[in-house]
Amino acid sequence: MSNEEAIIQRLVEKFDILKDRLHFQRSKRIFSDFLTREEFETVLPYVRDEMGFNRASHVVGTDEGEDLGFIYLLTNDDGVILALKEKAPKSNPKIKALTGDYPSLEFHERELVGLFGAEVEGLPAGPPYPLPDGWPEGNYPLRKEWNPEYFDNRTMSYNPPVEAEEKEAEQSE
Amino acid sequence: MLLGLGKILIFPGFLFLTVYAFLFEYLDRKVYARLQNRMGPPWYQPLADFLKLVGKEVIIPAGANKTMFNALPVVSLAAVAAAFIYVPVLGKEAVYSFPGDLIVVLYFLTIPTMCLFLAGWYSRGVYATVGSVRTLTQMFAYEVPLFMALLAPALIAKTWSITEMTAFFAEHPLYILINIPALFVALVAAQGKLERVPFDTPEAETEIVAGPLVEYSGRLLAIFRVTVDCELVLIASLVSAIFLPFMTGNPGWDFILYLVKTVAVLLFLALLRSVMARLRIEQMVSFCWRYLTPIAILQIVVNLLVRGGLGL
Amino acid sequence: MSELNRVVIPIGPQHPSLKEPGCFTVTLEGEKIVDAVVGIGYNHRGIEKACESRNYTQVVYLLERICGICSHTHTTAFCQGVEELAGVEIPKRAAYIRVLVAEIERLHSHLLWLGVAAHEIGFDTMFMYTWRDREAVLDILAEIGGNRVNYAINTIGGVRRDIDDSLKQDILKMTDALEEQVKYYRELALTETTLAARLAGIGKLSREDALKYGAVGPVIRASGVDFDIRTVDPYAVYGEIPFKVITDTHADIFGRTVVRVLELLESIEIVRFCIKNMPDGDIVAKVPRRIPAGEVISRTEAPRGEDIHYIRSNGTEIPDRVRVRAPSEANWHAMRHMLLGQYLADVPITIAAIDPCFSCTDRAVIVKSGRETEFMDWAQLRQYSIEWYKKKGIDVTSIKMPERRRYF
Repeated sequence: MSNEEAIIQRLVEKFDILKDRLHFQRSKRIFSDFLTREEFETVLPYVRDEMGFNRASHVVGTDEGEDLGFIYLLTNDDGVILALKEKAPKSNPKIKALTGDYPSLEFHERELVGLFGAEVEGLPAGPPYPLPDGWPEGNYPLRKEWNPEYFDNRTMSYNPPVEAEEKEAEQSE
Repeated sequence: MLLGLGKILIFPGFLFLTVYAFLFEYLDRKVYARLQNRMGPPWYQPLADFLKLVGKEVIIPAGANKTMFNALPVVSLAAVAAAFIYVPVLGKEAVYSFPGDLIVVLYFLTIPTMCLFLAGWYSRGVYATVGSVRTLTQMFAYEVPLFMALLAPALIAKTWSITEMTAFFAEHPLYILINIPALFVALVAAQGKLERVPFDTPEAETEIVAGPLVEYSGRLLAIFRVTVDCELVLIASLVSAIFLPFMTGNPGWDFILYLVKTVAVLLFLALLRSVMARLRIEQMVSFCWRYLTPIAILQIVVNLLVRGGLGL
Repeated sequence: MSELNRVVIPIGPQHPSLKEPGCFTVTLEGEKIVDAVVGIGYNHRGIEKACESRNYTQVVYLLERICGICSHTHTTAFCQGVEELAGVEIPKRAAYIRVLVAEIERLHSHLLWLGVAAHEIGFDTMFMYTWRDREAVLDILAEIGGNRVNYAINTIGGVRRDIDDSLKQDILKMTDALEEQVKYYRELALTETTLAARLAGIGKLSREDALKYGAVGPVIRASGVDFDIRTVDPYAVYGEIPFKVITDTHADIFGRTVVRVLELLESIEIVRFCIKNMPDGDIVAKVPRRIPAGEVISRTEAPRGEDIHYIRSNGTEIPDRVRVRAPSEANWHAMRHMLLGQYLADVPITIAAIDPCFSCTDRAVIVKSGRETEFMDWAQLRQYSIEWYKKKGIDVTSIKMPERRRYF
């Protein structure tokens, strides 16, 4: 059995919630399904302390329709990447910051706040990243519903057309 | 009286000094460039830079002291020009000389550094403040070895007048060899005085933009730059007068010799500039106090022994 | 009492030592740094959002322009990822060409870094020498790809241009000349006293800290960790090529300099190996326009470190999510730690030593003329430049490439 399959087996044995939710795709890659915040926080300490995944390369933010997804790429000394995924509903996108345990995630978690509107609890104070100063509140560019064509970068305001005006514009074309 | 005024203002005084300063800057930049496998500027570049700067707008920061801002460049140029009068250019004849003029020249030389410090201080900007503090710190480092190295030959010549020193060494050329360590110390310390690499932390472009002169522009900056070039000429002339006093007695030939000697000093300084990296301020201070000052002290001791031993 | 002596200096966003904008607000006590705040994000251009409205081939062009010097690595990572999603294996020759160009790019990047680092410490002579040698590398890249940076070699399924025999000879000539120069730089780095005085003992990052802050590339290799994606997770044909991973134990900027200079020599060997052993065959494989649904994480070793691309497709021509984690992003976290306790004079070289590529990690352009302020966006700027050239009588379509000058 390969190294990755051994890891998956050990995790599934320890945590029932991970049954059938870890996938071995190719060497050095293990993907998980989207876990809720509670499930994620249950699994994480074991993965970090007992399984040797004590370095994090990155966290990818995604837009999953109703939820926001957070894919944490954790690595161990053999170079295996465990992509542990977490999701939180867009209406309440609160997750816990992992920057305390993994200092290499600081800028990436800040990016989740700026670009996705996630609320990362426990993030240390610092300048917002990466959007410019004066960026209008409530605009989260990487969410799928945010359309760059409606953003006016002179006035720094987001002006989606109202439905009636759109129809008028179409009719007059 | 008119002849005296002519000598001060034209030759070998102020006008000669500035023209020669531009020539020196051109030579320095050309040698620096050629050592770096580049082309380098044309001969009229320093003049072109000066004219361009003079034509630009002078912007004085809001919190800065206007009088000081305007006065400092002029004061420093005046000090360098005044010091040049006492350095012999045509053989052993300076425009004016009196016993003790070596000390006066050395004091005049500190005025541009003080003006640079004050310029940065009165500019009230962060980079300027850091740069001006570094200028002063650097002064504490190179001033002692520079002064000692320049005063050591005076102990053998038994006079504090530059012209008489030159005359003495011209008559006894063998004593020049005794002063070679002092020559080396004077050249390295001069590189610190002129704030050139490896000792250019006060003006470190990549760290504090332009150091004390960061807020200067237009004709004020032009005058400061001319001051720096004139200082280069002055130091080269001083070093060649004290340490390399070869002469033939004929003023024409002596002038040519003077040109050759000063250009040789310049080439050495330009070489130093090309082959080294910039030292941090504390590295520079420790280098000057650990290596340069002991050599200078040693030179003074040796000179005293020579003077006593030979019963001069 | 010490509180009164504290000065806050902003280094950036515009500063002569920074090649790209970033704001490092350092608090000084005398010349020592007691606090530092790293502020980046000035070059954010919204590339990931743009990827979500373009098809895969267009995304390749977009990702190429994330950065001029890492452009080939970004496209390699992306194309590899998409090829994995599509289940396509590229021809061997294409893989060799990808590695060849990647190593030549590494030569370019490290030579550029040597020059920039020398300039930061005031050693302009070395700056001029290394950049003169870099010109030879850029000429070769221009011959291979048509452009000095952004050489557009990669496409999904393989590479776009082939390398013929005369080009191989040119590359070998260039590597021979470059090797002599690099050996001279190695002597210089190891024996020149002012260089060592400025570089040694600063920017310290111990092995534990390097692992904790997630540093990558020469930064972590200079701290004694042999983490190089070319051996940890081999891609393209790196599994078949014998080469050494260079590590050093100095854990400071001097160590990083040594690592980069020695990596130059290793890259030259890899280039020679590729040229000698390049198999014949096609250079591109057919990949369908619609990529099957799935997700993939693709990693490469850029000159600056580990480059991670996360690509997710939903079965259409347009990617669902493209996320690029450039190596410089990983190295920023250690920056604050490295700056504390240092002298102000060492800030530029510390920042430069992680070889930051701010672009790798968009705003409107503001033109001020006289008293008026006008806003121009990219479309207007482009139109403005086209018209400006037309007024001078220059028609952009008739420009030819200049003759290649030889430097050896």
